[in-house]
Amino acid sequence: MNIDLYGILLSALALLFAAAVVVPFLSRKRKLAGWMNFILVAAAASMLLNISFISVFQGGGETTRVIQFGPVGIYFLIDGFSGFFIGIISFMAIMSALYSIQYMEHYPDYRLWSYYLCFPLFILGMIGIVTVDDLSIGFTVAWQVMTIASYFLIRFEYREKGNVRNANKYLILMELAWILIVAGTLFIDGVAMGDSLHAITAKLASTGGSSLLAVYGLLLVGFGFKAGMFPFGQLWLPDAHSIAPSPISALLSGVMIKTGVYGIIRTFFWMVPREGYTGLLWGIVIASFGAVTLFIGTVQALKQHDAKRLHAYHSIGQMGYIILGVGSALVMLNSGSEFVKLLSVIAIIGALYHTLNHTVFKGLLFLSTGSVLYATGTKDLNKLGGLMKLMPVTAVVAGIASLSIAGMPSFSGFASKWTIISSDVLAGSQMMFLVMFGIVALFTSAITLASYVKFFGMTFASSGVEWNVSHTIREVPATMLIPKIILAVLCMLQGLLPFLYYGIFIDIFKNSDGSIIQPMFSGVSLDEYIVNSVMGVSVTVPGIKDLVSSVAVPLVVMLVIVTGLVFAWLLKRSGGAEEKVAPTWLCGYQDLNDKNRYAAHNMYSAFKKALRWTGGNVKK
Amino acid sequence: MDILYIAVNILVFLLLAPLFEGVIRKITARVQSRQGPPVIQPYYDLLKLLGKQNLSAGTVVFKFAPMLALASILGVIVFLPLGYQANYLTKYADVITIIYLLTLGGVSVLLGALSSRNTYAAIGSSREMITMIMVEPVLAMTFILGAVKVKSMGIAASISSVTAGGYGASVIVMMAAYLMALQAFVGRQPFDIAEAEVEILEGPFIEYSGPNYALFKYYLILKQMFYAALFVIVFIPPFKTGWYGADVLIQMAFVLVVFIGIALMGATHPRLRIDQAQKFYAVLIAASLAAVGLSVYGI
Repeated sequence: MNIDLYGILLSALALLFAAAVVVPFLSRKRKLAGWMNFILVAAAASMLLNISFISVFQGGGETTRVIQFGPVGIYFLIDGFSGFFIGIISFMAIMSALYSIQYMEHYPDYRLWSYYLCFPLFILGMIGIVTVDDLSIGFTVAWQVMTIASYFLIRFEYREKGNVRNANKYLILMELAWILIVAGTLFIDGVAMGDSLHAITAKLASTGGSSLLAVYGLLLVGFGFKAGMFPFGQLWLPDAHSIAPSPISALLSGVMIKTGVYGIIRTFFWMVPREGYTGLLWGIVIASFGAVTLFIGTVQALKQHDAKRLHAYHSIGQMGYIILGVGSALVMLNSGSEFVKLLSVIAIIGALYHTLNHTVFKGLLFLSTGSVLYATGTKDLNKLGGLMKLMPVTAVVAGIASLSIAGMPSFSGFASKWTIISSDVLAGSQMMFLVMFGIVALFTSAITLASYVKFFGMTFASSGVEWNVSHTIREVPATMLIPKIILAVLCMLQGLLPFLYYGIFIDIFKNSDGSIIQPMFSGVSLDEYIVNSVMGVSVTVPGIKDLVSSVAVPLVVMLVIVTGLVFAWLLKRSGGAEEKVAPTWLCGYQDLNDKNRYAAHNMYSAFKKALRWTGGNVKK
Repeated sequence: MDILYIAVNILVFLLLAPLFEGVIRKITARVQSRQGPPVIQPYYDLLKLLGKQNLSAGTVVFKFAPMLALASILGVIVFLPLGYQANYLTKYADVITIIYLLTLGGVSVLLGALSSRNTYAAIGSSREMITMIMVEPVLAMTFILGAVKVKSMGIAASISSVTAGGYGASVIVMMAAYLMALQAFVGRQPFDIAEAEVEILEGPFIEYSGPNYALFKYYLILKQMFYAALFVIVFIPPFKTGWYGADVLIQMAFVLVVFIGIALMGATHPRLRIDQAQKFYAVLIAASLAAVGLSVYGI
């Protein structure tokens, strides 16, 4: 390898650090500071994207290397797997920085120096988490930088009632998670400060059975806190994500919680000794947590009518899908049957694919809600409604994001949810609980749909802003639209071309050494089982030849729907009927007004009542 | 030839669906001691609506929703292996795609309703969505029951394998659950809660008229026929005559029987409240879960 990836990494981190030092001094000139922050972050992020590109696509992952910072040496590791996470973090950083320039104008009463001090540091911390290769010194530094920077970003609006309290709660729980993870490593026999994961893995082999349970249990809970796993996610995630400025919420939900997934996968697929590791047990535990998380998180989301809280609870729900994918992959990998073993490949691809999709559509949703907040000053779905005509671009991109998260075919969420659900259902022919998890996931995605019909319908369709805000709401400026449009295009691409992304994820796992799932990717020739079908994916597993196990071809579905639309349009025009716009008809004796319209909190009330026991209820 | 089967699917559905709707109306009328409209009345209704003035709420979504609803149900129908014959498109989708596509139709109804700004439409769409959440799993599990038996989610494979191992306990339970859910699938009494003519005036469709309403109406009767046909394809043992046309005709005869059942059920049962219906659906979900569980163990 000619290019020194670690050199680029260090320069990018240095650039981020420089941005944190320089930009706060400019913060009195708000716009200028925003542009400077964007330029510096974008420069650093492009270097990081370069690393990501090399390590993912060219298989140029490197082995672990120790880098000296004065007297301490910290192990770093850039392989395809961390390259993927570097990629999504730096990409979202660019989007969020660009969006921030104009968005922060919306807080004229707050000084911006702390925002532009913490923004680059937050990115730096996240990059640190996914590149350091230990669980002591380097991990602690990265975790603390990420946590403390994000703490100040979350409490940005510190004059609002309750915000500081919620931010403090976030800080305390993240420190607790850190303590759990570091404490977990202490159960390993003979562990020393600054051990690389390789060394830790070797020492795990000689660690006794009950200590091993403690190690993995504590690490799972610690990273579970970060990933929003039930019941830990509910403690901090909705409060923290809903009070942060929207570009920060997009980063929190889009990428920060993904570092928890990174930790879980690294722990359970890399940091495992050859013997004494009960992957099946941990797989069942993780998959069960995933299934519970996705159901509870999504049902709680359905009850929200604060748009940002709604997205935040859905982050918990969607993380549940990812965790379910990870857990199922671990279960399948340790099963006896060859058929099920092969499905573990599909499940882990699904987990990573959903990570990518969730980053994009959840980022987009938070940015869209941020734009609504910017334009109208409220994020309460009971007050909003009818923005479609006033903010058409935001409405369209929010519609794309809503269809994506709800898993409509040919939008991005579908491809990854399909991957996770189909692998679970197919494996379920031998393991009953997996098919049950698959059904729960399918049922839950209908609830997600309900929730996003409400979000879209009550923000952009229906009516309400004309009475609660004003008639003169304008679309947000271009610098806030561009990131959203880019993300919306990505949503479509990721939904339409799943095979392309399958190829990338297969490469990532094939080229990242040391994981227990790597033999599945390199040992068998996957070309025979995962087949390109019009850029869609068709899976055929051995043993049952000539029978497609599962298939999703969004392009064909799209084509069929478009043909149907043309037919419907022709049919509609066939009678030559004239069209006229008419006011809403409420039985003739009353006009529509704020008192007789249907507000968001009334939606699905019977269903919400039946599911009161799941918690997360909202007072009227 | 494969491509031709798609055309047959579309034509059979487009041509026969209004007829089956007419049968329901006729039977309902007879049960209520009325003369009732002629069986072909739904064709007249559609034709007339297509020529009437189109009142609109003025937003793009309002106009787009009826087209999307019709397109989505047609999209589902083309993938169906009618007459036990997989067509050219069947191999490009699996049952999960079908399940998600079916919800797309529901979503267009809801979006159209919400963008019409009418309060009754919003009430109706809220109920429609609850019904969708609660009965869709029954459909999904019907497919999954077949899928776990054959270890494939392909449409043709999983649909034809539900009854493959004979009528064990799991198939009987699933069949019962599907039949009970059928009235809710097609939005008939006692589960016509979303539309509830005399209560919330057709709910989601209150603001629709003319061609827009014709498209929605067509969507509804096609959806109704899809669920009835699916029951026949999945649960009635195949009477394969070897001749494709005869197979389709036999299936349509069974569909007619199912429709008579739907009509009788609808005409003799009063509407439930949404919270009562929800409890009923919960039982159905539990029963279908049990059926899937049993089938994994081969019972």
